[in-house]
Amino acid sequence: MKRFASALLAVIMMVGVTSCGWRTVSPDEAREVIQVIAMDTVMIFTTYGEKSTHADYLSEDEARRLEALLSRTDEGSVIYQLNHAGGLGIDVGEEVCGLMAAAEEYTAATDGAFDITIAPVASAWGFTEQEYRVPSQAELDSLLTLVGPEHITLAGDAAALTPGTQIDLGGIAKGYASDRMADILKENNIPRATMSLGGNVLAWGDRPDGTPWRVGIQDPKNPDDANAFAALLHLTNAFAVTSGGYQRFFEADGKTYHHIIDPATGYPADSGLTSVTVVADCDLDEVDGGPGVGTMCDALSTALFVMGEEKALDFWRSGAYDFDLVLVTEDGRVVVTDGIADELERSEESGYIYEVVS
Amino acid sequence: MKSSPELRPCLWDGLVALLVVVLAAACALAVWNRGNDAGELTAVVTVGGEETDRFVLSGTSGGDRTYSGNGYTLRVSLSPEGVRVEEADCPTQDCVHTGTITRTGQSIVCLPARIIIRLEGGTVDKDAPDVVIG
Repeated sequence: MKRFASALLAVIMMVGVTSCGWRTVSPDEAREVIQVIAMDTVMIFTTYGEKSTHADYLSEDEARRLEALLSRTDEGSVIYQLNHAGGLGIDVGEEVCGLMAAAEEYTAATDGAFDITIAPVASAWGFTEQEYRVPSQAELDSLLTLVGPEHITLAGDAAALTPGTQIDLGGIAKGYASDRMADILKENNIPRATMSLGGNVLAWGDRPDGTPWRVGIQDPKNPDDANAFAALLHLTNAFAVTSGGYQRFFEADGKTYHHIIDPATGYPADSGLTSVTVVADCDLDEVDGGPGVGTMCDALSTALFVMGEEKALDFWRSGAYDFDLVLVTEDGRVVVTDGIADELERSEESGYIYEVVS
Repeated sequence: MKSSPELRPCLWDGLVALLVVVLAAACALAVWNRGNDAGELTAVVTVGGEETDRFVLSGTSGGDRTYSGNGYTLRVSLSPEGVRVEEADCPTQDCVHTGTITRTGQSIVCLPARIIIRLEGGTVDKDAPDVVIG
C-alpha cells in the first residue's frame, strides 16, 4: 500500500512541478509574428498578449483593404478612378477625402516639398512600373505644370483633379496604415508590439523585459548589409519613419537616380542627405484610427529629405509639429535633434560622426 | 538486531524508487528545457503566404535549395551559420542584395516572387535590434 502511495505522491509532485513551469508564460509574453506582403512592401507584425493572433490578422486585413483602396495601379481602386476621371468630380468617400486633406495640409506646411500630385513625374522616371529611364527636361517641364495642390479640389466626400493631374498617396499610405494598426492594438488591449511596414515602424509599449524597443536605422552606405546600422533608437510608444534615396534607385550613364522626386525640379532630390528618420510619440489617448502621428511622420520624412539638412532643421525648430529627427548626410554625419539624443545609440563600427543639434 | 521482514526492501520498493528518480529527472528536464524555449535557429520559407519549407540550420550540411513563386526562382544557399539567396531571376534583385542573414528575426524578402525566408528560434541577442527601419 505504501508503495502505491509513494508512486502517487511522485506523480502529484511531477504535475505540481510542471504546472509551475507552465505558469511562467504569462499572457503578456505570448507572442505572434506574421509577415505580409502588401502595399508594395513587406510588413512584419509582432504582437504580444492574449489577443496577439487576432490583432495580427486584423492588421493584415487592414493592410489589404488599404492596398485595394489606395493603389494607383489597381483599376478597381478609388485612386485609379479619380486619376482617370478626366477632370470630373467623383465620390471618393470620407476616408480617402480625409487622407487627401491631410496630404494637402503637409504640402502647405512643407512649402510643397511633400506633394501627392508628383505622381506623373515619378512615373516618367519609371518608378511606378519599375521601367527606369531619364526623362527629357522638356517632358519634365510639361509634367510639372500639372503638379501642385491647386490641381486638387475637395468638397465633402468628393474630389476632382485638373485633367492630366494624378495623385499617389504612396507617401502617406503606409503611415496611415500604421495609424490604423495603432487603433487595432488599442482596441485589442495589446500590451506590446512592433509593427514594421517597410520604412515605417510603430513601437508599441516596451519589450517584455521592460526596456524600450531597439529600432535599428539601416545604414544608407550599406543598404545590402542586414547588420549595418547608422544608429539604434530606443523607443517606447513611438512612430518612426525613414526615407532614403538608397531604398529604390537606378543607374544610367554612370549617374544614380533615386525615387524621391523634388516637386520643385522634377529631379530626384539632391539635398546632401542619404536618409531622414522622423520620430514622434504615439499618444495612446489620441489614437482614434484616423490620419494621425504615423501619417505625419511618413509625410514629413519624405518632405525633409527633399528639403535637405538646413531647411529640415529649421522646420523642426519652427515647432509646427511635435517630432524629432535623425539625419544621415552624404558627408558621413549622423545629425540627431536633442529631444531624442538620449535615446540614440551610436554604431561605432559604422564610421559616422555624430552631432546633436538643438 | 534483526530487522522485521516487512521493512526489508524488495523488488517493488526498488521499482518505486526508480520511478521517483525517473520522474524527478523528467521534471528537471522539462523545466530546464522551457528556460531555453527558443530552440535551434530555424529557417522558415513562405511562398505567397504559405509555409513551404522549414529546417534547422545546424542540421544542414550546406548546399542549395531552390524555391519558386509568381514565375520567379530563387537559389538559396544554406550553412549552419546562415542563409543567403545566391541567385534569382527576379527583376529587383533585392533578395540577392540582402546578403546573408544570421540572427533570429532577420528575413530575406523577394517581393516579385512573394517569397520570405525568415530565421526563428536560436539564441536571442538582447542587444540586437528588435526591428529595422529603412
